[in-house]
Amino acid sequence: MSYVKGLKCRECGREYHVDPIYVCEFCFGPLEVVYDYDGIKKALTREVISSRPQNLWRYKELLPIEGEPSTALDTGYTPLVKADNLARHLGIKSLYIKDDTVAHPTLSFKDRVVAVALAKAKEFGFDTVACASTGNLAHSVSAHGARAGFKRFIFIPASLEKSKIIASLAYEPNLIAVDGNYDEVNRLCSEVANKYRWAFVNINIRPFYAEGSKSQGYEIIEQLGWKAPDAVVVPCASGSLMTKIWKSFKEMKDVGLIEKMETRVFSAQATGCSPIVSAIKSGIDVIRPVKPDTIAKSLAIGNPADGYYATQVIKESRGYGEDVSDEEIVEAIKLMAKTEGVFAETAGGVTLASAIKLIKSGRIAKDDVTVLCVTGNGLKTQEALIGKTAEPHYIKPKLSAFEEVLEKINTVKS
Amino acid sequence: MKNRVRLTFPQHLIQEPVIFMMAKDFNIMPSIRRARVTDSIGEMVLELDGSEEDLNNGIQYLRDRGVDVELVEGDLIE
Repeated sequence: MSYVKGLKCRECGREYHVDPIYVCEFCFGPLEVVYDYDGIKKALTREVISSRPQNLWRYKELLPIEGEPSTALDTGYTPLVKADNLARHLGIKSLYIKDDTVAHPTLSFKDRVVAVALAKAKEFGFDTVACASTGNLAHSVSAHGARAGFKRFIFIPASLEKSKIIASLAYEPNLIAVDGNYDEVNRLCSEVANKYRWAFVNINIRPFYAEGSKSQGYEIIEQLGWKAPDAVVVPCASGSLMTKIWKSFKEMKDVGLIEKMETRVFSAQATGCSPIVSAIKSGIDVIRPVKPDTIAKSLAIGNPADGYYATQVIKESRGYGEDVSDEEIVEAIKLMAKTEGVFAETAGGVTLASAIKLIKSGRIAKDDVTVLCVTGNGLKTQEALIGKTAEPHYIKPKLSAFEEVLEKINTVKS
Repeated sequence: MKNRVRLTFPQHLIQEPVIFMMAKDFNIMPSIRRARVTDSIGEMVLELDGSEEDLNNGIQYLRDRGVDVELVEGDLIE
């Protein structure tokens, strides 16, 4: 049984049936899934959720699928790490890392959105899935699509380094390397999506795809003991993840799974691509597109589709945004790794580095229960750390050589 | 062919008829679907109807004038 009522334009409110469509025919506003929350409230309890397997389908009533998911790799229910070492370092009382670096088939939060998109694509009867990506989304569509038996088309700019696509190629999708700049690849994908009857996960399946991000928010609340945090810091690329985490928190309250929700939401971006944070800091809600220039490639979206809605979340929740330099990103990756044993990709560095600024400025208070959303594994962006980590101690294969180094290490530590 | 685009106007272009000039000079039919103007920036969502060549030239004209022209879907490469 599905609790989806239909699709609704976020701009003009016009309603549509559930179809693989993504934009309002009248005002070109984005479409969003709407649910029968009264029905969900009756069906979904903490006990029901707790009794289910630990993956994102435990919240299936709040996801846009019909009944049971018919495809895909299970994913989700990643750890919520109580980061006491990091909290002490930052001088705050209660800090958590929502650790999406692990427990996903392709080690990033994109597995959440792709799992939902492909389940929906199967329901719609598509035999081909597609996306335009330079990294995490390509890996995820390649992997989930292989398992679910879809034909897969992945579009990338031909200029992309080979090292970025090896992980996707292992799953043998049809990889289309387009000889053009990012604008031209974007435009081609839009034309392909409008011409071919394919499930283009982040175009015509986008309203359903984006809903998968909500599972991260549900998990945070469940893992905090059915409580909403005081503050959540979310990395922003298109802005979709942040808007969906906010939506998930509000839904948890609306369907009675929590009583109180007063979370403030904070946006994190790299200074080299910060159209959302720039708008927040300027106090305007028109997003000015930028040309990205940052090591945080997974956040490098210069014209964010949900940028405006992200600024509205910040206003509604009384949050704020911060942007950080490439150097601050690298330092934050290393800090998270050495204090909590969590190795995040560059986007995770953006989140922590932004949180540090927000704590220093007092926007996040020292006694706020704070959650950092860390969205992908550091093994995916190791090149960002080349030449910026500690060096190994090279020795000859002799005990005396080892003990010489050991003495030096102990001397430095004491 | 038809293109759905989002235009962002810097402050100095808000009072200039750049859409009219594009339509007239490049034989493009614009259909405005949404618009927002503040004192510092303007945003417009519209459909452009014309030949592929005219659309390319018209969009390039807007960019040359300083208008940001982007797909209404936002950036699709994630």
